[in-house]
Amino acid sequence: MAKGVSSSAVQAEQLKQDGNLYFKKNRLAAAIDAYTEAITLCPNVPVYWTNRALCHRKRNDWTRVEEDCLKAIQLDHKSVKGHYMLGLALLQREEYSEGIKALERALDHGRGANPNSYMVEEIWQELARAKYQEWERDSTKRSWELQKLQESCEIALREKHLEENETDSTSEQLAHLKLVFAKAAEADIPKEVPDYLCCKITLDIFRDPVITPSGLTYERAVILDHLEKVGKFDPITREALFPSQLIPNMAIKEAVGAFLEKHGWAYNMD
Amino acid sequence: MTSPSASSRKTLSKIATNRLQKELMEWQVNPPTGFKHKVTDNLQRWVIEVNGAPGTLYANETFQLQVDFPEHYPMEAPQVIFIPPAPLHPHIYSNGHICLDILYDSWSPAMTVSSVCISILSMLSSSSTKQRPNDDERYVKNCRNGRSPKETRWWFHDDKV
Repeated sequence: MAKGVSSSAVQAEQLKQDGNLYFKKNRLAAAIDAYTEAITLCPNVPVYWTNRALCHRKRNDWTRVEEDCLKAIQLDHKSVKGHYMLGLALLQREEYSEGIKALERALDHGRGANPNSYMVEEIWQELARAKYQEWERDSTKRSWELQKLQESCEIALREKHLEENETDSTSEQLAHLKLVFAKAAEADIPKEVPDYLCCKITLDIFRDPVITPSGLTYERAVILDHLEKVGKFDPITREALFPSQLIPNMAIKEAVGAFLEKHGWAYNMD
Repeated sequence: MTSPSASSRKTLSKIATNRLQKELMEWQVNPPTGFKHKVTDNLQRWVIEVNGAPGTLYANETFQLQVDFPEHYPMEAPQVIFIPPAPLHPHIYSNGHICLDILYDSWSPAMTVSSVCISILSMLSSSSTKQRPNDDERYVKNCRNGRSPKETRWWFHDDKV
């Protein structure tokens, strides 16, 4: 019995290799067949499911992407690719908030496994785009509602003063009303992101901030790149610095989260 | 003489483009005193006008800096040279090459075009003699094939100009 199990595992692994090869040659149908056979032999290996999902993704077959990813996540709740492609599939069928949540889970697990991988960057790009589009939709709605409310308020104010016959205070109150509404719309107007939320190297808003023993905070992927390519020193203080000394800066990360929550336009990557 | 080496002509990476756009925006709002960026649509090469600081040997003189950015800026230093005629200075060669450590071995990605400009101006301002480096003729001759100063093995002069 034990022998039977191991031989089917070996066979499934071989089928996965075949599938990968077909995938590279863009022979998607053949790749899907190979992965399906592997799944039949060993249904509990999450990678077989995510690899097949990747083929479905390339074919824009999002229903199947979603099915395979859900299965992969059920087997391995930390599957980065599972959460990632599930997120993309959900966004495709306009399940925006669920899609964003899935991408956020993918990002968290991806950073935990390998903060510097291309996957993390790709997931971030997709997440930022989805978040920016979400902001565009919501802010358009907000601004439309505010505008209607302002118009109604102005009419009401004019009518009230007409009855009471006090034209002097009318214009004053109308000006105040205008200010109040301008204030209410402020958060949705793009401006500069405050310096303390931006990395001194990228000059961009932090995604994954880490702090050095000098007390300075940098974007993780970029400071790692610096330590590898430029030298083992803190770019600002020039004190000796090694990758093992970098510590996640949770406070800044939360501050960035709070800022982005309020100012979704800052997700704009262009 | 002012053409950059082939290596720095590769198109900018995404990170480099993003960062340069941010630097340019910041420069437009808050340019370093004494400098003027000449507007072009070329993000990879900036031409900057430098005015000698009042009260120094270079007061009332104007020079031009040419800044070329490599593909992996800011992980790599930009190439910064004066477009001849270059200021007469013990660390500036007549072909415009500048002997300044932060442009080469001591580059740090936390530096910006603006901070580099300020360093160059302070180097000019602290000069007490207007003369070329001793090895000017030899150095310039060695660079005749259009060699970038970033390929020079610099032996930095002391800090007292």
